[in-house]
Amino acid sequence: MEIAIAIILGCCALGAGTAMIAGIGPGIGEGNAVAKACEAIGRQPECKGDVTSTMLMGCAITETTGLYALVIAILLLFVTPNMFVNILTSIVG
Amino acid sequence: MIKADKTVRKETKYIGLWCGVLSIILQGVFIILNKWDYTVLLGNLLSFAVAVLNFYFMGLSVQKALAAGESDAPKIMKASQSLRNMAMFLICGAGVLLPYFNTVAVLVPIFFPRIAVAFRGFFKEEKEVTEVE
Repeated sequence: MEIAIAIILGCCALGAGTAMIAGIGPGIGEGNAVAKACEAIGRQPECKGDVTSTMLMGCAITETTGLYALVIAILLLFVTPNMFVNILTSIVG
Repeated sequence: MIKADKTVRKETKYIGLWCGVLSIILQGVFIILNKWDYTVLLGNLLSFAVAVLNFYFMGLSVQKALAAGESDAPKIMKASQSLRNMAMFLICGAGVLLPYFNTVAVLVPIFFPRIAVAFRGFFKEEKEVTEVE
């Protein structure tokens, strides 16, 4: 029984860690977007306000993928282990 | 402490406004489902603050990265995103673990800025159409 619970907890932690790999992507994407925005503002400084505004919205959208991963990781770490252990104990008794 | 740009403040206000509206709708949904208690309100308030502050700090990082230039911008944004993600993980994790906050009310409002951006697209398109007319 203890081994089964340990396996469940380990798998949940592994799943959460794997999910957080998706958190790398938004950082790289935002970095590239801001670098290109710097280039654009350098070319046309009068568009700074518009470029910043559009980029902020773009960054917010980009970040959502990271947030999905974050929510999945939180659920896997803090919510599902109890659920699975309860199911296991109800089955085994 | 870096002073926020006019654009960053304007966009944060917009996101905050929409997050507020969507939070009220979320509370309404909980009331309709007869599942409302004080934990829903506290969870929603916590997550609302996290979502708006995350957007505000992202705006500040963008401002800093723009000032730093093309070569340093990706590094600044990556560092900022990692730190913000970590902070969100800690706060939302605490929100899920502590009994004073409802789990759903903590996790759902994190996505409100994304919905606000989606709505902004509709409004902007309409404005552009009227300008053309």
